[in-house]
Amino acid sequence: MQALPDACADPRTRPYLEQFRDVHETLSGAGVEWLARSRVSSMAHLCSGGFPTQRDEDWKYTPLRSVMAHPFSLAVGGHVPDDPDRYGVPGLDSLRVACIDGILDSRCAPCPAAGLSVQSFSDMLARNPDQLKSCMGKVSGARSHGFVLLNEALHRDGVVIEIAPRVRIDRPVELLMLSCEDSALVLPRILIIASEGCRVEIVEHQVSAHAGSGLYCGMTEMYLEPGAHVKYSVIQNQSRSAYQVSGAWAELAENSRLDCRTVSVGGALTRNDLAVNLTGPGAHCDMLGAYCLSGRQHVDNHTTVVHGAENCTSNELYKGVLDDRSRGVFHGRIRVEEGARKTDAQQANNTLLLSRGAEIDTKPQLEIYADDVKCSHGATVGQLDDKALFYLQTRGIDPAAARSMLISAFVGEVLQSVEPQPLHDYLCALLDEQLSDPGTGEPGP
Amino acid sequence: MLSVRNLHAAVEGKAILNGINLEIGPGQVHAIMGPNGSGKSTLANVLAGRDHFEVTAGEVEFRGWDLLEMEPEIRAREGLFLAFQYPVEIPGVSNLHMLKAAVNAVRRHRGEEELNAMEFLKLIKQKAALVEMRQEFLYRSVNEGFSGGEKKRNEILQMAMFEPRLSVLDETDSGLDIDALKIVAQGVNSLRSSDRSILLVTHYQRLLDYIVPDFVHVLAHGKIIRSGDKDLALELERKGYSWVEDHAGAA
Ligand SMILES: Nc1ncnc2c1ncn2[C@@H]1O[C@H](COP(=O)(O)OP(=O)(O)O)[C@@H](O)[C@H]1O
Ligand SMILES: [Mg+2]
Repeated sequence: MQALPDACADPRTRPYLEQFRDVHETLSGAGVEWLARSRVSSMAHLCSGGFPTQRDEDWKYTPLRSVMAHPFSLAVGGHVPDDPDRYGVPGLDSLRVACIDGILDSRCAPCPAAGLSVQSFSDMLARNPDQLKSCMGKVSGARSHGFVLLNEALHRDGVVIEIAPRVRIDRPVELLMLSCEDSALVLPRILIIASEGCRVEIVEHQVSAHAGSGLYCGMTEMYLEPGAHVKYSVIQNQSRSAYQVSGAWAELAENSRLDCRTVSVGGALTRNDLAVNLTGPGAHCDMLGAYCLSGRQHVDNHTTVVHGAENCTSNELYKGVLDDRSRGVFHGRIRVEEGARKTDAQQANNTLLLSRGAEIDTKPQLEIYADDVKCSHGATVGQLDDKALFYLQTRGIDPAAARSMLISAFVGEVLQSVEPQPLHDYLCALLDEQLSDPGTGEPGP
Repeated sequence: MLSVRNLHAAVEGKAILNGINLEIGPGQVHAIMGPNGSGKSTLANVLAGRDHFEVTAGEVEFRGWDLLEMEPEIRAREGLFLAFQYPVEIPGVSNLHMLKAAVNAVRRHRGEEELNAMEFLKLIKQKAALVEMRQEFLYRSVNEGFSGGEKKRNEILQMAMFEPRLSVLDETDSGLDIDALKIVAQGVNSLRSSDRSILLVTHYQRLLDYIVPDFVHVLAHGKIIRSGDKDLALELERKGYSWVEDHAGAA
């Protein structure tokens, strides 16, 4: 087995190496050789390659100084709230599974739906590790950076969801990712295996039970088999002092469909990497995002869609509303591989700046190696239309309500297709609340 | 109802209104006519409270209130309505949604109970029929993709919803074909009563065949240079604006 390094090229990784030495023998699946080997190798890579810096093109606009200012300690667990359910999406009739600081809450009953299996990562590693071997890290290996390696080395637990072939799960599965321990490092893993022809809606709902800080690096992997249809919504509503660097990776087989949506309102700094690989003909993915930021919040969405087969379509729309001195970053990469004829890939990033201090950096990146392809991208940046504000006021609507009406209309496009009404209402309310809240001026990056 | 005294207004330091005097009593219909650029829309917008225009002198009293001290939404809730010359498009906000928020804001202000969804729908469908607007327009985004005429009709629909004390109609007639003009006039006339007043801003005499005014004023260079009854509009139509301007210059 590869040996752990003694020295760290990037001094910021040292505290994490020390933690690794202390705990790695007690991590889940410690007795599973391939996993233990992979953990050591990830840690070694982290020590030699380090965490990203702004010199890396992919991190140019996202300063990590504050995230790295002091090391976070791996969550110890045991900070379990009496009633995690009260943090759930109100009124949503969901199959709820709670992860407390990245560890599946054992009080959660196994899901009562036929054809749906929800297990904890650590249980699965204890009982049937080889089933995970073939899919763990397969997709995530593609474009990894220091935070991915951190998760790969030190992850403790998470959720494995499997949907049986041709099963349709009627109620949404809500993964309540609850942060309870102040200032902890939380490294959850989520694995979704959507078998042929199944249908499921999953809501990953991140929320903090405390107002403190913390570093959350979640990794989600999704495999969609032929004809599977998965709706995946991520709600990022962590405390205003929390940091997050997370990634989601998906592989879509022929005629499968992924509708993913990321709604970000919380956190001091959030970086999301979303990579979708369309590997089978006729696959489709929707990538939607909405973020409403105030104070000095920072959200960076890095997306990649790879069209690797014919007749695939992708539709990407990210909309941001930035107030105070907040900052948004959007990077959208579309890659059309040789032979991926009849690709249709659309991308747009639209931003509403509510203050002079707010900023957005947008970067589309198109790499097209096939013929007969339709690709487009566009970005707009604007302000609230003062003519529209005045118009609404002359109809008796006060300026605050008028503003909120215009802003909701702007981001509403991203939420339009959310079907369960309680989820739709909750997302609207989160965005609205965020904007009526005067910037709290939490320390940002 | 409305009393405008020596009103001066400027935009970006440029004087546009140069001492307007206007008295509108309850139940009266006044028409303001004038060449392009004479300040008609500026007057309408100053009355509605657009802060883009700076009032440099003068006073405006509306139903006993100091109008210029009131926020635009308060003016609206107290019964002042402006039908815009260029109604604004608001993508993503449906007509229905905006009007419900608006009507209920007015009702709250007056201490009345808000309308629930059913009551509101009933009311708006009734008013939409009045201006012969198809119901699908209620569900569309405010003015988005509406033709010129549809936008104007939408303004009249809103006016009908609010039943304002004073309606200011800024060139609601321009760009309308004769059928649409009749519908608009009918909407306005249905609001005429002894306690409601109307200020029609128009470029052409044509509208005044359908909404007969009690008084006609001619605006030029930000001043009312002539006032009279409806015959003044006809005379103006015959002789053109240069006639009054020359006249005013000579006087
Ligand atoms: N927002 C503005 N900025 C600068 N000048 C304006 C603005 N609005 C109107 N004006 C000027 O004020 C004058 C009067 O315009 P307006 O009131 O629209 O006239 P009318 O409605 O009679 O055609 C014109 O000379 C016009 O160019
Ligand atoms: Mg005008």
